[in-house]
Amino acid sequence: MKMPPFKLHTPSSVEEAIQIAKNLQSKKEDFDWISGGTDLIPNYKWHLNPKKNVISLANISQLTELTETTIGAMVRLQDLAESDFTHPVLAKSANSIASIMIRRSGTVGGNICLDTRCYWYNQTEDWRETIDWCHKCDCGTGADCRVIPNQNTLCVATYQADLAPVLMCMEAKVHLISTSGKREMDLVDFFELDGMKKNKLLPGELLTHITIPEEISSWSGDYQKLRQRESWDFPEAGVAALWKKRGEKLEKLRIATTGLESIPGYHEDLAMEFVKNWSGEESIKQLSEKIRKAVKPVANTWYTPSYRRKMVKVLTKRACKELMSE
Amino acid sequence: MSDEEKDEMVGYRQQPGKISFSRPGSGGKNSFSEPRDEKMIPESQGGMKKQPWGNHRHDNLITGRVVGKPTSLVDSNWKVTGRAKYGDDIRLPNELIGKIVRSPYHYARILSIDLSDALNLPGVVSIATGDDAKNKFGVLPVTKDEHAMAVDRVRHIGDLIACVAAEDEATALEAVRLINIEYEILDSIHDMKDGLKDSEVPIHDRGEYHIGEANIQKRVFQEFGHIKSMKKNAVASHKKNWFFNGVNHAATEPHAVVADWDPSGRLTLYTPQQVPHYVHRALADVLEIPMHQINVHRTFVGGGFGGKSDPFPHEMCASILARKSGRPVRITFDREEVYWINRGRHPSHIEMNLHADEEGRLCGIETDALIDGGAFASFGHVTTYYNGVLHTAPYEIGAFHYTGARVWTNKPASGAMRGHGAVNSRCAVEVGIDDISEQLQVDPISFRLANLLPPHSATITGFRVTSIGMRECLERVMKESGWKDKFRKMPLGHGIGIGCGFFISGSGLPIHWDPNKFPHATVHLKIDMDGGVTVHTGAADIGQGSDTVVAQSVAEVLGLPLDMIRIKSRETDTSPVDLGSYSSRVTFMNANAAISAAMEIRNDLLDATSEITKAPIEKLVIGDRRIFRKDDPAIGVSYLEALHKAQEDRGALVASGAYRTPPMGRAHKGAAAGLAPAYSFSAYVAEVKVDVETGQTKVEKVWAAHDCGKALNPLAVKGQIIGSCHMGMGQVLSEEMRYGRTGNLMNTDLLDYKIPSVHEMPHVTPIIVESNDPEGPFGAKEAGEGPLLPILPAVCNAVYDAIGVRMNELPITPDRLYKNIERKCRDLKIDDPADLPSPRLKHSELQDILEKRAGEHSIRDKERRLSSEIEPYHNGALFGMDPTIPPDEVDESWEVTVIPSEEYLENPRLAGSAWVHTERRKREGLK
Repeated sequence: MKMPPFKLHTPSSVEEAIQIAKNLQSKKEDFDWISGGTDLIPNYKWHLNPKKNVISLANISQLTELTETTIGAMVRLQDLAESDFTHPVLAKSANSIASIMIRRSGTVGGNICLDTRCYWYNQTEDWRETIDWCHKCDCGTGADCRVIPNQNTLCVATYQADLAPVLMCMEAKVHLISTSGKREMDLVDFFELDGMKKNKLLPGELLTHITIPEEISSWSGDYQKLRQRESWDFPEAGVAALWKKRGEKLEKLRIATTGLESIPGYHEDLAMEFVKNWSGEESIKQLSEKIRKAVKPVANTWYTPSYRRKMVKVLTKRACKELMSE
Repeated sequence: MSDEEKDEMVGYRQQPGKISFSRPGSGGKNSFSEPRDEKMIPESQGGMKKQPWGNHRHDNLITGRVVGKPTSLVDSNWKVTGRAKYGDDIRLPNELIGKIVRSPYHYARILSIDLSDALNLPGVVSIATGDDAKNKFGVLPVTKDEHAMAVDRVRHIGDLIACVAAEDEATALEAVRLINIEYEILDSIHDMKDGLKDSEVPIHDRGEYHIGEANIQKRVFQEFGHIKSMKKNAVASHKKNWFFNGVNHAATEPHAVVADWDPSGRLTLYTPQQVPHYVHRALADVLEIPMHQINVHRTFVGGGFGGKSDPFPHEMCASILARKSGRPVRITFDREEVYWINRGRHPSHIEMNLHADEEGRLCGIETDALIDGGAFASFGHVTTYYNGVLHTAPYEIGAFHYTGARVWTNKPASGAMRGHGAVNSRCAVEVGIDDISEQLQVDPISFRLANLLPPHSATITGFRVTSIGMRECLERVMKESGWKDKFRKMPLGHGIGIGCGFFISGSGLPIHWDPNKFPHATVHLKIDMDGGVTVHTGAADIGQGSDTVVAQSVAEVLGLPLDMIRIKSRETDTSPVDLGSYSSRVTFMNANAAISAAMEIRNDLLDATSEITKAPIEKLVIGDRRIFRKDDPAIGVSYLEALHKAQEDRGALVASGAYRTPPMGRAHKGAAAGLAPAYSFSAYVAEVKVDVETGQTKVEKVWAAHDCGKALNPLAVKGQIIGSCHMGMGQVLSEEMRYGRTGNLMNTDLLDYKIPSVHEMPHVTPIIVESNDPEGPFGAKEAGEGPLLPILPAVCNAVYDAIGVRMNELPITPDRLYKNIERKCRDLKIDDPADLPSPRLKHSELQDILEKRAGEHSIRDKERRLSSEIEPYHNGALFGMDPTIPPDEVDESWEVTVIPSEEYLENPRLAGSAWVHTERRKREGLK
């Protein structure tokens, strides 16, 4: 397995990094950012859309800030999982990612911007040649989608990262920078419903950090994940639930899902419908059924779509277990 | 060795050169010699080691040195320090990198290959295609159907078409892309059921032996015993249609090979092979050079499990490229290529029928196994038999009806994998027994204990079974798992299950019959004045510890410390022919050969000692580096003294020992398949937790008892048991070669091919049962494959105990199990799976009958294993037949039939329908 050759750039500041990106753009040269590399390098080895240039963020210390409200893009997943600053639900989801070795290398920014995954895409070059390529990495052939042939303009590769649903429930904001300036947006709005485009990052733009509202520390919740093995495997489905109580009364409830579509799903509206007349077990039952109906997985991961949908219901129920007794 | 010196030996952290070695002894008062460990010397020799299973022919060779003691493998320092050289670690000067051009189509005719662009690429040194080597090869002489590279047709995605040798990997890969191939795409077959039908272009052409015009590679029909009465007498019957997905060995090391033609014109092939000898033969055939011009050098093997036991096309490719270029060529596989060469366990449709009569006897087993061979024969001829005959024991049965067929499909070839051919049908049998026991309302362990063949008996197909520790295995796991307090008594979601296993310890007949009286294993010893023993053996150490077991055997007989034994097992130039590491033959056959070679040297040493001390040979014993009078240990000589005396006038002592199985078995067609000089037995209990809401199964504990005859190295045996549990757990819970709707193999990588991680691994309690096999070396039998078998059914049965759902497809992934939970809920009209009833057991009257019979059999078995004159016992005695004669010889209602009747063919089972076709030669004969 040999990676195609690329030029590695190693800036030591954000400013230098975006400048390199801009210069490459002006020369019409393509590039990728690399942080922990646990997603990008395997993809490069399989020749999945490799670029001629790779800009490493490893030397940029500005990006490693970690407080209760700010998480730098270059914070390692294991550091996030272990930090005293990290909200327990976020720590739980971080701790469930892949294996400890991957978590020690993989980063928060990389996990949020994780490439979408698909059985017909995450394969070696030789393998993909045998199916005449696919939509997402078509090698210039204009190949069709192999999951849903003949009807798809969007790529349906699945977003299988664990942090996003929890951060969405936290109403986290992502902060982006490019030579055109800084901007921020709600994480909920960050993703694009196309497995190829994935998110709103513009060419040359970099995710620098995430901010979390301070009040979240008083919220409770849970993250539930479905996968074959307790290590390594990407989530086949994941459900995050976060809620706020006033006294014993449920005041706010947010639910988000991952591993089911090409973007993580945010289901705050569905959840809030039930909050006013929350009745514990029965509400959870109805809510989890609604979440099940709200997600539409396709057949491109290890488990069947129908099973994943059914399990979303179970995961939602389990994530809300603490709200059962109301 | 003094205690001080011993303390220094703390393992691999020792710097080279600082390890304190054993000294051979200097004669006279020998400060290095340790007293004999009387606890290791058998009672029959006046020692203190109890022998509940009787004496053994090797008892007098026991010196108490190493056999039976937990011993770290002799090559372990090499591995843990990273010094071991595996296939891809071989670096020869001036090497080229080889890459293989593979088919992107399932099935296609090659119309043309244009090499010109690739040949013009700077850095490309040579390219080869199918035209460079047209001779066929294959691991079995009866089914040679492989080429080095495709001749005319490619038969699966990944099939080899051409290969390139270039100065570096990038250039080789570029050249691969520059080779232009024109194809004519042919209709491919993916469903093995389609393989049973006639086809326009069968995947292979067997000439006049071709079965119909179908893709049937092998078919088997067997009927033994009282076939006509089995259904009539049955009070309980079990029937289940299984589907077993294919699994791959997934060894850590991908295949890698280096070929080098030396200046004298000889070929050396460096390869991590389980079976160097067959590669040796195949290379000679394909390259058209005599075997004596080829040296097969086995590197360290990073896991085999059957996946490195065929001669492989890439080994031919490297040799051809090296010959063309005149330079060494190295080819290393990507993981994906490992899946394309495959040889994993066959995907299988198995129909299992069991019948039990009113006395709780198994009055019939009917099995139909259709197995998916993929594109090549590999070991498949044997696999087709094994799927049947390897479940004719350990139970005594009234009738056995087996139909098996192996078909070609356009998939990577299936082959031999740990537990070859026995695993899937064993799972089906053991789950069937669980079901039948439930129908009869008896405990499944009691049912088994009341139906076991005794030691020294013959199975229904005529296999000679010698030692049997099955009963002890069952009793031990029952006790240690707390079975009686748990079985059918735990709450929903918690379950416990039992499964048994039976496996060959070496195959009775070698794969190659010519020259036909050759031994299966040969070991050479050479000892010079330094006292160290050089052992030449062809046994391929693939991590299972064969070097260690051979070294132990020699050390034991000669009374030497293990570090005085040096094993040379790598090169065919120097090692005697050995048939390789498959069918669990190595310990049994090689240790036997090593013992007989060591016995020769032992005799030389005893003669010499007798000459020096004037003591008669019968009074002498061998201790630690010292030979002395048993009745007066002060009279004796050091090992070195005796050795030097023996060397007078002749120099180094050399000896050769060999092992060949005794004549065995019966004469019907296929009688040799499954014949072994001994068989291993095992029983496992698994305790599981099943999440009824998600279908996720977690194996929490396993009690694993295996009868390996005698644990020569208990540490290695335990390792094999635990490793087998891990591998079998993969097949039962998560591993599968998954083919997508286009027929592509979807998970050719270790992220999506789900080997259990450490988190999935239960706590395994390995239990060693030592039944002291009369033929085995010091009583030993195999421990490498048999231990895998029981874990599958034990888990399946535990899942049933937990939630009342019987699976019929493996692996039991959560989505599959959940579907069955939903179905069960629908059937029982239950909304919430948490309300499912747990299976419960209320004993019927039969339970007492079985327990009584088991008690009687237990006494029978103990008598048989200790008695010196044992009467024959043929399967059928439990059904009232004369045990001393095969029932079919006295009663014509007991059948031995290997050709189906017209009547059967009117309504055959799935694999049985392979017999509807007529071979071409017989069709033409009719014209």
